[in-house]
Amino acid sequence: MSEQHKLPHEQIVKIKLNDEQMRENLSNAMHTLQKNRLKLIDEKFNDWQGLRERAKQAKNNALMSLNERLLEFEKNATKNGIQVHWASSDEDACEIIYELMREKNISKILKGKSMASEEIGLNHYLENKGLKAVETDLGELILQLNGETPVHIVVPAIHKNRYEIGEIFKDKLGSELESEPEKLNAIARKHLRDEFEGLKMGLSGVNFAMSEEGAFWLIENEGNGRMCTTASDIHVALCGIEKVMQSFEDAATMVHLLTPSATGQFIPTYNNIITGPRKNGDLDGPKEVHVILFDHHRSDMLAHEDYYEALRCIRCGACMNFCPVYDKIGGHTYQTVYPGPIGEVISPNIFGIDHTGDILNFCSLCGRCSEVCPVKIPLADLIRKLRSNKVGQGKNPPLGANMLHHNAAEAFAFRNFEKIATSGNLWRFSLSKAHYFNWFIQSFKNTLPVVKKWSQFKDLPQIKKNLYKELENIEGVSCE
Amino acid sequence: MKKVYLYATCLGTAAMQESVLNSVKLLRREGVEVIFKKNQTCCSQPSFNSGYFKESKNIALYNINLFEKDYPIVVPSGSCAGMMSHDYLELFKDDNNFERVKEFSSRVIELSQYLDEVLNVNYEDKGEPIKVTWHSNCHALRIQKSIQASKNLIKRLKNVELIDLEYEEECCGFGGTFSVKESEISNAMAREKIKNIQKTGAKYLISGDGGCLMNIAGTMSKMGLDIKGVHLYDFLVKRLEGVKI
Ligand code: SF4
Repeated sequence: MSEQHKLPHEQIVKIKLNDEQMRENLSNAMHTLQKNRLKLIDEKFNDWQGLRERAKQAKNNALMSLNERLLEFEKNATKNGIQVHWASSDEDACEIIYELMREKNISKILKGKSMASEEIGLNHYLENKGLKAVETDLGELILQLNGETPVHIVVPAIHKNRYEIGEIFKDKLGSELESEPEKLNAIARKHLRDEFEGLKMGLSGVNFAMSEEGAFWLIENEGNGRMCTTASDIHVALCGIEKVMQSFEDAATMVHLLTPSATGQFIPTYNNIITGPRKNGDLDGPKEVHVILFDHHRSDMLAHEDYYEALRCIRCGACMNFCPVYDKIGGHTYQTVYPGPIGEVISPNIFGIDHTGDILNFCSLCGRCSEVCPVKIPLADLIRKLRSNKVGQGKNPPLGANMLHHNAAEAFAFRNFEKIATSGNLWRFSLSKAHYFNWFIQSFKNTLPVVKKWSQFKDLPQIKKNLYKELENIEGVSCE
Repeated sequence: MKKVYLYATCLGTAAMQESVLNSVKLLRREGVEVIFKKNQTCCSQPSFNSGYFKESKNIALYNINLFEKDYPIVVPSGSCAGMMSHDYLELFKDDNNFERVKEFSSRVIELSQYLDEVLNVNYEDKGEPIKVTWHSNCHALRIQKSIQASKNLIKRLKNVELIDLEYEEECCGFGGTFSVKESEISNAMAREKIKNIQKTGAKYLISGDGGCLMNIAGTMSKMGLDIKGVHLYDFLVKRLEGVKI
């Protein structure tokens, strides 16, 4: 993780809000994704809500029997000739990959799109050991060339438009300056073909692992993932333990929700179901397939009465596509691997609320994310609960909560608010002191230096009437 | 004779008193008797959304004790109605008081739902023909689900043309304490909303939520635009009385 380079919250917000180009690119892209999704659900699905409920149940079943599922997966995958590795931490997972590379004397791997590899900080880890991981997903490639991290979990370079991408290709790959999508694609294809030649080890993520089959399912749109998983001698798949489900049918339910939610496509361009290495007589496919099952605080989440729900996430990105905050500030402002509403829930749980807790502010609790999430994760409720953990309330706090510094002045303001709001006399007394509505804001003025800015942007209404007196004079109204 | 409690909300008692009085008028017009509890305060949304659950529970219990009789609690705000009819249940999920909370919550209804669904009001529009657009409050839309009822009331006015607002379901950036803590992001959201409001060509923005109105109309007035934000219940009364807006 690149958290060493974190900027102060206010500063990064300011920088990104002022990036007009990014905001325009994001707003256009997000609105297109929203429309595609709504149109598809409207035209192609008879019972979208029923499918959501089924997916929620299937995923919950898998989570509630996760131990069993994992062991079953291991047994059946091993039978299929897949080598299963276990990693409890992010470091462990990186180390397993590193050891595999060392054993085979490999200095470069090619990667299909995988947020899991971002989560464990793989590129950085290998780089420090003098090894290289090359991105093959078009979006990821653009970002790697430009020294950036993904801004979105599905469409990593969605904040860039085609003109900007043309510039990056010209600068970093020495190509002609182009802006037509076809030409840009051709440049990337040529570059990647050279990389794919002689490929020894390919790395991918996993969308769904099926315990009964001992196999896993990968979906993608570009075909580069298929190259990484079949053209190499060795294929390594990184799989968070929550991706394991019971049956092929359960996984199929999820795939039916995933692409429509993500991009508004009915089905993905490529469905890769991987059941093991090349068998005798097979013409292609890797000679070895490895799966790394990693935990990285997922079991802690699973044990939590509320936050376990976030483990249902299928990484479709719909919650960020519909988030009115995300499209104003972009994913980098979150300064953690997973941005948007789901990021606000899992980042504090995976990386610690002490240094990712500030992103809990990036939510007006409008509830749109919970509404669109295909697996019905109550994102807004969970964000609110994390806020409660952040201020030192709530049961069963997440990772890093004991390291938090609590804002005593804010807590005092809310205790004061409670005092006024539970006494009619105090309430009316404080209203009589207020010339504007801002008494409410006034109560926070010692804690929140931004109050002035609020009124900088908005005119406040004035109080004109004595409400209580007027009410008493209306016939048919009794003031008690 | 129908009898209801009116829950004025904190914004109503503090700043939007006109709207509270007009809410009373709309109920009286239908012959409903209104009980106004003088000691009423706030539904606790600011503390709830900021994560101060302990304080919020105490405020909720205060309200539950105050509105003790069996009357419906009519709230002229989808946001506060949603808080009391839905979020209180979440807040008290594992609490001894749950049954009491549930009884209270089941009596909470948003004013437009009460007018449209319970009383099925008949409105004669005495105003000039005008075009208006509508802003949906997020909590009213997704939690209290009172937006349809609010729009139904506007649609009963024959001289009012309701123009669809593009991206209506996007938050205006108020979110209570959010607009204070992240004032710059909130402002960016309000501006985006206003851009779409301008595109409708309507000169009036109607909304059933005081907070959103304060946010959007306050920003529009700061920007010097000639679009006016009007609270739904002020709007209705003016149309029914034929008074200029
Ligand atoms: S939380 Fe829901 S909407 Fe967001 S990425 Fe995960 S599955 Fe998709």
